[in-house]
Amino acid sequence: MNCFIRSCSLIFASLMLISTAQAATPKPGEKLAKDQTFTYRMLDESPTLDPQLIEDVAASTVARDLFEGLLTQNADGTLRPGVAERWETNDTKNVYTFYLRKNARWSNGDPVTAHDFVYAWRRLPDPKLASYYASFMELMSVKNAKAIIKGEMPPTALGVKALDDYTFQVELEDSLPYFPAMVVHTSTMPVPQKVVEKLGNQWTKPGNMVSNGAYMLKQHVINERQVRVRNPMYWDNENTIIDKVVALIINDENQAYNRYQAGELDKTEVPTGQYKRLKKKMPQEVHSNPRLCSYYYMFNTKKAPYDDIRVRKALSYAINRDVITRNILGAGQIPAYTFTPGATANFHVPDVEFGKLTQKQRNAEAKKLLAEAGYGPGNPLKPTILYNTSEGHKKIAIAIRQMWKQALGINATLENQEWKTYLTTRHQGNFEIARAAWCGDYNEASTFLDLVRSESDQNDGKYNNPEVDRLLKQAKTMEDPNPNYTRIEEIIATEFPIAPIYHYTGVLLLKPWVKGWPHHNVEENWYSKDMYITAH
Amino acid sequence: MLNFILRRLAIAIPTILFIIFFSFLLMHSAPGGPFTAERSLPPEVLANIEHKYGLDQPLYKQMFNYVWGILTEFDFGPSFKYKSQSVNDLIAGGFPVTLTYGSWAFLFATIIGVTLGVIAALKHNSWLDYLATGGAIIGSVLPNFVMAPLLVLLFTVYLHWLPGGGWEGGQAQFIIMPVIALATSYLASIARITRSSMLEVLNSNFIRTAKAKGLPWRYIIVRHALKPAMLPVLTSLGLSFVGMITGSVVIDQFFSTGGIGQHFVNAALNRDYSVIMGVTTLVGTLTILFNLLVEILYAWIDPRIRY
Repeated sequence: MNCFIRSCSLIFASLMLISTAQAATPKPGEKLAKDQTFTYRMLDESPTLDPQLIEDVAASTVARDLFEGLLTQNADGTLRPGVAERWETNDTKNVYTFYLRKNARWSNGDPVTAHDFVYAWRRLPDPKLASYYASFMELMSVKNAKAIIKGEMPPTALGVKALDDYTFQVELEDSLPYFPAMVVHTSTMPVPQKVVEKLGNQWTKPGNMVSNGAYMLKQHVINERQVRVRNPMYWDNENTIIDKVVALIINDENQAYNRYQAGELDKTEVPTGQYKRLKKKMPQEVHSNPRLCSYYYMFNTKKAPYDDIRVRKALSYAINRDVITRNILGAGQIPAYTFTPGATANFHVPDVEFGKLTQKQRNAEAKKLLAEAGYGPGNPLKPTILYNTSEGHKKIAIAIRQMWKQALGINATLENQEWKTYLTTRHQGNFEIARAAWCGDYNEASTFLDLVRSESDQNDGKYNNPEVDRLLKQAKTMEDPNPNYTRIEEIIATEFPIAPIYHYTGVLLLKPWVKGWPHHNVEENWYSKDMYITAH
Repeated sequence: MLNFILRRLAIAIPTILFIIFFSFLLMHSAPGGPFTAERSLPPEVLANIEHKYGLDQPLYKQMFNYVWGILTEFDFGPSFKYKSQSVNDLIAGGFPVTLTYGSWAFLFATIIGVTLGVIAALKHNSWLDYLATGGAIIGSVLPNFVMAPLLVLLFTVYLHWLPGGGWEGGQAQFIIMPVIALATSYLASIARITRSSMLEVLNSNFIRTAKAKGLPWRYIIVRHALKPAMLPVLTSLGLSFVGMITGSVVIDQFFSTGGIGQHFVNAALNRDYSVIMGVTTLVGTLTILFNLLVEILYAWIDPRIRY
């Protein structure tokens, strides 16, 4: 992977054609079920299935079946060809050229061409479309993306072009070695120009939608179900096994579990707090896999006394992460001493100092730091923890309050707010300490570390450290940015703009007859075409 | 009578406008907006989105455009959350679902509730009365968010008789549990109101007179007692009917029916302004209409009532 997305892309791309399995591959002797229908629980209705407008995880999952971008992912998260058979980049890694397969077809039989990608990529930053993910084009450093979003340039000025029908070229503002990993993102998938222009926002409805992925949208009943069936035009259709994928929208996780038990679902999530019990009851069906997400507390570094590193450090030190992951969550979550999860590709988790101490040592240090900052029995610190209303967040906040009370003798106040109110409070900076979580947009450490960049839109704590900014900027163009990432994590573990708490795991229930689930894909990017159902 | 109906309809229009106006202000005064997300959007991106949905215009203008759209084209606007759906689409898709299971629940609750109430009143202080009253009390303390999981455990997980959720165009096996879960508490309250109202009527002078005249008991009940006993029941039925056919967030979410009940809560949480106003207007209008219907029925049931 290291070689893959960094220096050897050209060589690797040609090798990949031989080395990667493209579709579902049953093991010898495995008998396939007659009915190849995979039914899974979808937590919430997706706001849209338009690749450039999608903003949620659930819809991205659907889109990965319906559409195929330039590259896709193997079960372990490494890249593999999608519509692009191979790609190459120049020495400065600011121009990427993708060579598209000639047998890729839309579900209406039209060929998928480089022009479709040009259209889709120009569409994303277009102010007229007004996509949530418009700035992803900017994040990918595509030339002129920012100016287009601002309306200063027309979408046609974007640094993409079709050299011919099957060659798509992207010009970047700057070198970006991990660029290929980003073109897996839903927002970069092609859309059928003629259909989109003819039908407007109705093009994503069943019957209207034309797609180029392994599946087509057959049925979509809002808040009830989405059904997708095989796309006979898909270039690898003959190696696809699952015939039908049904997503049932079930908001309540316990109800989803009931329906899983009743055999209505092949896959759902383990209900909160039930991991240990279910793991014992059905070890074959319960899985816990690391995910590309971090749970953390954010300090408002512009508000006294949280502008004092010693206070932030003391509070972060006094959180016993083991108790939270083991006793409160108990589903294999990983105590976090760095912001970036260890599961992130190419990221070597640095041995930050406070991670090596025992909790007792951390508590002693925390007490000392707080005293140095001028807080003690005579002048107690009274922090307020802001979180959005949820039993899970409440449990953690209560535990942390207790830890702070025992270790530092301080009384924290808990304040819960309804989701959007909480977000507004947080974005406006009207908080002292706020719960937060982040899942990576792509599998690279910068997707996390960018949050502590002074100019980042996500930096609600208003942390500002020019060194971090410089390291991040430099990392973008480095062959091996790890030294910079390590340094940033060290800075985080010294100055604590945030207090990392734990790294997520995805806990799921999967029927034993579903094969090919990518347990090792930390982004949980699964493709139905890679799976199959054995006889049961 | 016609005059009365016309007068009430004339009052209904400003009432509905007031509901729209008030819910518009209420929604916009809640912190955050439809596009507030964990991932803060860059200002230029947010500006583009707000411009697309007209949220960059002054509030009074948004309000005017919204009402104008409703009055001229019966267009309740696009959903802010579901990008390819308009509010009309969402209501057209979800309302038939809640109307179906709500109507069944209404019939179920009314028929069983009234029957139980009448039996309990007729057999006052007998074991039948205690059974019916006890059942009604249990029913009223069992909210649908308790009933729904209990039903699923019994009929789906243990007995494998019914699917745990879904709608599939409204096939019978998908309707049964939503109907029972929704109807239970309504049924209980209808039974209790019927019982007490029936008891009161049975103790009144005109029933005693009927008895004294030697009329058969069954005739007295059906002809003389039932109609006046239904007056208070009718008052509650009108509102219950609107409540049932517009669904319930619990039923819709728990059974994944795709009905509109869940929009009442979700649209508010999502700050999906147009959807929350669309469903509020729908409920407001239905409430006004059914209250009017109930008042008309009053006059039919009780000859003393004239408008």
